[in-house]
Amino acid sequence: MLVQSIITNGLAVGAVYALIGITYNVMFSASRVFSFTAGSVGMLGGVFGAILIGQMGMPVIVGFLLTLLLGAILGIVIEFVTVRPVLKSLDQHLYVLSTLAAALMIQQLTAIYFSTDAVPFPRVVPIESGFLDQKIWLPILACVGTIVGLEYLFRHTLVGRAFLAISEDNYAARALGLPEQRLRMTSFALAGMIGVLAGFSSGQLMFASLANGPLLNFYGFVPVALGGMGSNRGAVIGGLLLGLFQQTANYFFGGVFSSVAVFVVFIIALLVRPEGLAGAATARRV
Amino acid sequence: MRITRRKALTGSAAAAATIATGIYKPAIANTDPIQIGYLPAFTGPSSSTGIGIGRGTQLAVDEINAAGGIKGRKIELVMRDTQSEPTKAVNAAVELTRRHKVSAIWGPLNSGETAAAIGNIARENVPMVHPCWVDVLIDVKKYPMAFRNAPSNQQIGGAANHYVVNVLKAKKVAVISDTTGYGTASVDAYVPMLKKLNADVVYSGSVDANNPDLKPELLRMQSGGAEAIMPWSVNAGFLARIINTRAELNWDVPIVGQTTLGSGQTKSLLAKPEYWEKVYPNNFRNVCYDANGKLPPQTAEFVERLKKAKVDYSDTLMWWIACGYDGPRLIVEAMREGGTSAADMTAYLNTKVTAWKGIYGTIAFSAENHNGFLDEGVIMAQANSLKDGAFKLAPGYA
Repeated sequence: MLVQSIITNGLAVGAVYALIGITYNVMFSASRVFSFTAGSVGMLGGVFGAILIGQMGMPVIVGFLLTLLLGAILGIVIEFVTVRPVLKSLDQHLYVLSTLAAALMIQQLTAIYFSTDAVPFPRVVPIESGFLDQKIWLPILACVGTIVGLEYLFRHTLVGRAFLAISEDNYAARALGLPEQRLRMTSFALAGMIGVLAGFSSGQLMFASLANGPLLNFYGFVPVALGGMGSNRGAVIGGLLLGLFQQTANYFFGGVFSSVAVFVVFIIALLVRPEGLAGAATARRV
Repeated sequence: MRITRRKALTGSAAAAATIATGIYKPAIANTDPIQIGYLPAFTGPSSSTGIGIGRGTQLAVDEINAAGGIKGRKIELVMRDTQSEPTKAVNAAVELTRRHKVSAIWGPLNSGETAAAIGNIARENVPMVHPCWVDVLIDVKKYPMAFRNAPSNQQIGGAANHYVVNVLKAKKVAVISDTTGYGTASVDAYVPMLKKLNADVVYSGSVDANNPDLKPELLRMQSGGAEAIMPWSVNAGFLARIINTRAELNWDVPIVGQTTLGSGQTKSLLAKPEYWEKVYPNNFRNVCYDANGKLPPQTAEFVERLKKAKVDYSDTLMWWIACGYDGPRLIVEAMREGGTSAADMTAYLNTKVTAWKGIYGTIAFSAENHNGFLDEGVIMAQANSLKDGAFKLAPGYA
């Protein structure tokens, strides 16, 4: 039972981290900006679901679609308010301040208008819990669905290829006539949807809670660094490994030391492979 | 004697000076209101406590003033909302003591705010009564005018430990907390207390409150043979996860601990309402239903007064209202019987309050002990018995 618990919960939590990692990546690919709002957007996925379905009594499918829509709007707002104004001076890393400030504002507004305590998240699928409860398989399903969808988008659609072109070299892409600004906004909307999907699918596992914001911001960044910046496959592998390792460390070292154990392994992994597990080493002209 | 104009003028001037300097005074009683500073948190994360306590406080002051106040002088609460922020509590305490020169202070009502403000209040030599549980917030040497009308954390933990070891007869105990200061300090304090009661602590640890999976922790407790789980946290999500996980493991071991175990917030996060069985949070004897579903007579009479005054108690906790009702009454009694100066009030509380019957509990102070709440007032209750803000006593209490 212990091994089963570590594996199932580790994969579920890891899938949430992976989704937040993908949110970071999708924002980063289009703008070269690490938006530290990813965790707060994830937190809002749970909050939106709890309000729309749990408190307002909307049907699950309507609540889910509205949550995705709100996530997309939120992503566009983040791009417009925190990213666009600082793009001209990327080398000064002002985006760290602007995106952290936006994350702080999201947290404060949620505390004021929602709750500082955890709030229950409704059952999404009306079935009794069997061998695996939906709180475990929903985030895993969401993660698998997202990575398959993104692979399809990037490999088989024109818009996806335009995204890739922007992320490879946005000057060249602009020179070819690609609408860089619109594509960036679209990618932030997509990132917002993936972020709220993480919070919505894990609502039963993590509750709708303000505290999930900083937690997801923090642990969601680890798979990005582990998997290689911009690599969604790397983020999924990194996220799942992180979840499994964290749950194992929880059991063997206890809750206080598990975070320490996670970050020790994280630092060692980065020392061994600074480019990340799925990243490619880049040559530097000297 | 011949009265010259010079003598008449001199006499008149002397008489005028006498009246002006106050040597001569007509016997008119002072009717100015007596100001009591009041520092609740009506907004912010600690506001649910502040609102509950506030209802009792307002009722007490209304009743005191309706009965004529203190020797004809009304009580005026000078209230400042601390907004659940220690810095605001400090600013408010300074304002009340320096600018308003209040005679005494009721509050702050949360430990974090009291910890921040108590030094300022002590420096101004203003007597204060607060209901905060953190042990160090009462120290007769550092804060000789601070009194507590509620239990300390030692008493809260002591009551839970007593219930687990002596009433439930559990010898193997698991103690768990979140990683907050309160949580880890509780584990550090309560585990040695349990060992003194000859309990075998088979698990003790602190876990991140946001960790979604507590099964490994509970499996460790189970494999250690734990006969009771004692969680110490004010985080409803964390407590609900412990209760949910116990049910998922088909384990019916009792859960005994912090008052938040019995909160509506915790209940709302349970996967099924029946998971709340065999969960026993701390509570207080005076505000609990007995086995027959009856409140103690003085509390029942208090509830009637709440109804008459249209004070809503269905959406809060009875012990918060009772605690809020007792605080200002204790201060007013010290003013009425001892005097309104700080020294008189403190002397009265130190020497005359030896078995003060409050609604919340019986209070006994001495010059050496300003922790007034008696141990026997702290008990455990049945979490799933909440009705009209009060709980039923846990099984095993007479």
